[in-house]
Amino acid sequence: MKKERSKKYRAVQILRILSQTLFFALFFYLLLGTHFPGKDYIGNVEIFFHFDPLLALTTLIAARVVFLSFVFASITIVLTFVFGRFVCAWVCPLGSIHQFFSFVFKKSKLLKPKLIKNKLPTLKYYILIFILVGTIFSLNLVGILDPLSLLYRSFAEGVFPVLNHTFSNVLGLLYQAEFYSIADPIAQFLTTLDINSIFTQVFFIGSLFLAIVLLNIHRERFWCRYLCPLGALLGLFSRWNVLKLEIDSKKCIECNLCTLHCETQANPFPNKDWKSSECVYCFTCSSICPTNAIRFPLKTQMEKIETVNLSRRKLLLTSIVGAVLAPFFRLSPESKRASEKLIRPPGALPEKQFLEKCVKCGECMKVCPTNALQPVLKEAGPEGLWTPMLVPKIGYCEYYCSLCTQVCPTGAIKELTVPEKTQVKIGTSWINKNRCIPWKFGDPCIVCEEHCPVSPKAIKLIKAEVKTPEGEIKTPLAPVIDIDLCIGCGICENKCPVMDKPAIYVTSVGESRSEENQLKLDLISGSGGIY
Amino acid sequence: MKRRDFLKNIAVGSIVLNIKPNILAQEKKYPDLAVVQGELPSQITREAISILGGVNRFISKGDEVLIKPNIGWDRTPEQAACTNPQVVKTLVELCFEAGAKKVKVMDHTINPARRTYVRSGIAEAAKEAGADVPFTNEHKLKKVPINGQKLKEWEVYRDFLETDKLINVPITKHHSLSRLTLGMKNWLGALGGNRNQLHQSLDYAMVDLAAFFKPTLSFMDSYRILHRNGPQGGRLSDVKLHKTVAAGVDYVAVDSIGAHFMDINPGELMFLKIANERGLGEIDLEKLTIEKRKI
Repeated sequence: MKKERSKKYRAVQILRILSQTLFFALFFYLLLGTHFPGKDYIGNVEIFFHFDPLLALTTLIAARVVFLSFVFASITIVLTFVFGRFVCAWVCPLGSIHQFFSFVFKKSKLLKPKLIKNKLPTLKYYILIFILVGTIFSLNLVGILDPLSLLYRSFAEGVFPVLNHTFSNVLGLLYQAEFYSIADPIAQFLTTLDINSIFTQVFFIGSLFLAIVLLNIHRERFWCRYLCPLGALLGLFSRWNVLKLEIDSKKCIECNLCTLHCETQANPFPNKDWKSSECVYCFTCSSICPTNAIRFPLKTQMEKIETVNLSRRKLLLTSIVGAVLAPFFRLSPESKRASEKLIRPPGALPEKQFLEKCVKCGECMKVCPTNALQPVLKEAGPEGLWTPMLVPKIGYCEYYCSLCTQVCPTGAIKELTVPEKTQVKIGTSWINKNRCIPWKFGDPCIVCEEHCPVSPKAIKLIKAEVKTPEGEIKTPLAPVIDIDLCIGCGICENKCPVMDKPAIYVTSVGESRSEENQLKLDLISGSGGIY
Repeated sequence: MKRRDFLKNIAVGSIVLNIKPNILAQEKKYPDLAVVQGELPSQITREAISILGGVNRFISKGDEVLIKPNIGWDRTPEQAACTNPQVVKTLVELCFEAGAKKVKVMDHTINPARRTYVRSGIAEAAKEAGADVPFTNEHKLKKVPINGQKLKEWEVYRDFLETDKLINVPITKHHSLSRLTLGMKNWLGALGGNRNQLHQSLDYAMVDLAAFFKPTLSFMDSYRILHRNGPQGGRLSDVKLHKTVAAGVDYVAVDSIGAHFMDINPGELMFLKIANERGLGEIDLEKLTIEKRKI
């Protein structure tokens, strides 16, 4: 029989690739644009997240609040009801990456598609159930696996630093070769991009992302098939859609090519086994079919079909495991007494509410103008993994900046104006007199005082009396801290000339958001302020 | 005339002046310092330069000029932590009027440059006048011999080394260690490396750097003066409106008049004393010819 592939579906495929490119470009553009915009207020760069029904749902359940911006997610839900999981193959930027690499691996023969018959990829549904059960206990783990959070975090905290390093090296070579006229504009442009290149977990987060991409060697779109909780959620919504696969049995030669190359194991053949919940409408089957037998006719009548068939026993088991495991993510010394290193960004809600809302996306870390915000590894307990914290040795909280509060997609960091932000205390600074140059050696320094951004300064200078090792008495100006004025921004620690372990450092105590993590009696009463 | 020769002449001239001030003073064409007070920063800037003999005395046709304001802090012009943008703009305009080929305005800032360049208003103002406003970049750092009393070598951005003319445009501010930050301290903004360690010997470091950079012209912006809580201030009450600029070739003298604006006797300031003792310039305002104007 002569090969007769569908031109129409080939065109639809090309359209799909265009759509993917467009949405990926948009995601990337917003990601790159998440930096100091040259003015105090940045636009809606986090808008992508608000179309994510998984984030909307988990935030709603975990924090028990309706966050209005998530109204956009209902668009995604409605469209999925009508057209199925098309978002996965037409919109999702992480899906596009997986599809792209699956394609590359296939072409390079690293990936050899296998025929998997009558086996549903159900793992992702259990992952979804596990996450949702957690949210009932206000445990919000969605950020670890939500595709948008994962992609954003991996790019901002893993891929970009590596790229930036590479570009910088190339630039260094250009300068060495004295190609100034080429190098200068590139350098200027790179600075304008404001890419934060120091992250404590570049290796960890970067490797995880690489691993997820490499999984495509094992199975096409491995992530989308087996792991993605958003895909699972959309799969649950997709059973009423109007686009249903139809195989013309007269034309079909039962070659199984469609099922072999189905990107998400939706079993196009035989027709009755096709799973609407797994189909992402990539239209590979209909365009690959050698006899043009596969079509997706529009049926105005929405009929429900049986799709996801999870075993009740496993479902119950997952729920119980989720409920039992929830405390494992939560019980840590930090829940008893605040961690001194856990300096949250200004505007961060009190720790409990913060953890209920934070989806670990890394928007705040991307936008921070000093690279100060870093992903938490252990300071906030297991549930706080990859949430933001300020590491003053790397960067500090810029006084007239409230960008991180503006880009948070879930309101875990409350949006603040710049004047409001300057009133927020995120910690308190301390002097280690054993390492401080004036206090220890009697030599002048005052760098911390000079950089203190509040007026009057929270760092005061007093005449200290210091005995040098030679027994000489010196009276240098030495820093002391007025903790009522200190806002904990950390610039003192950041600029301290004692390089390895700064002689002045910030801890979280005194942070405005906490009622418990306080120091002085008079600070506890009557606090509250913007919270 | 090359910048170096010119400076040499000035240096020789000032030594000669120290010996026989009376005889030579009459032959001097221009005053040592121009001090102009007035409402508009741009106007007083122009006036000060014209008192010194006009911009053509400093900038020649085809010159590449680097103007070094203080753009260190993420603060507005009203907060007086950074040089007045209108002063910078006017200087850029003047340089182009003298036929400069290229004018760069830059600083190695303390807060992130992308923020300070914007909030200080300097980037916009300088660009309007046609200047390049590049950010510093680490690839352009070069370790060079400073050959100072304390500073032997340090990393300097090449932009500051590879220009025909350097104009230093500091703002007059309070500082807890050196008491004031004026023109000589402004050179820390041309450096890379761990410059915060310089504070352990700040007065000497400032003098060494000033002697190393030897600006063609020093221009003191005292339109607004940060009289306390320096060097970045914050409250508007930290600022005094002084509406004055001062300029001169002798950078020590320019800093001395800045100290005078802050009601401090230049001789009380350690760095000025050191500079004076090293013969880098005059700190005794009585010995200087100062032309004051009010417009």
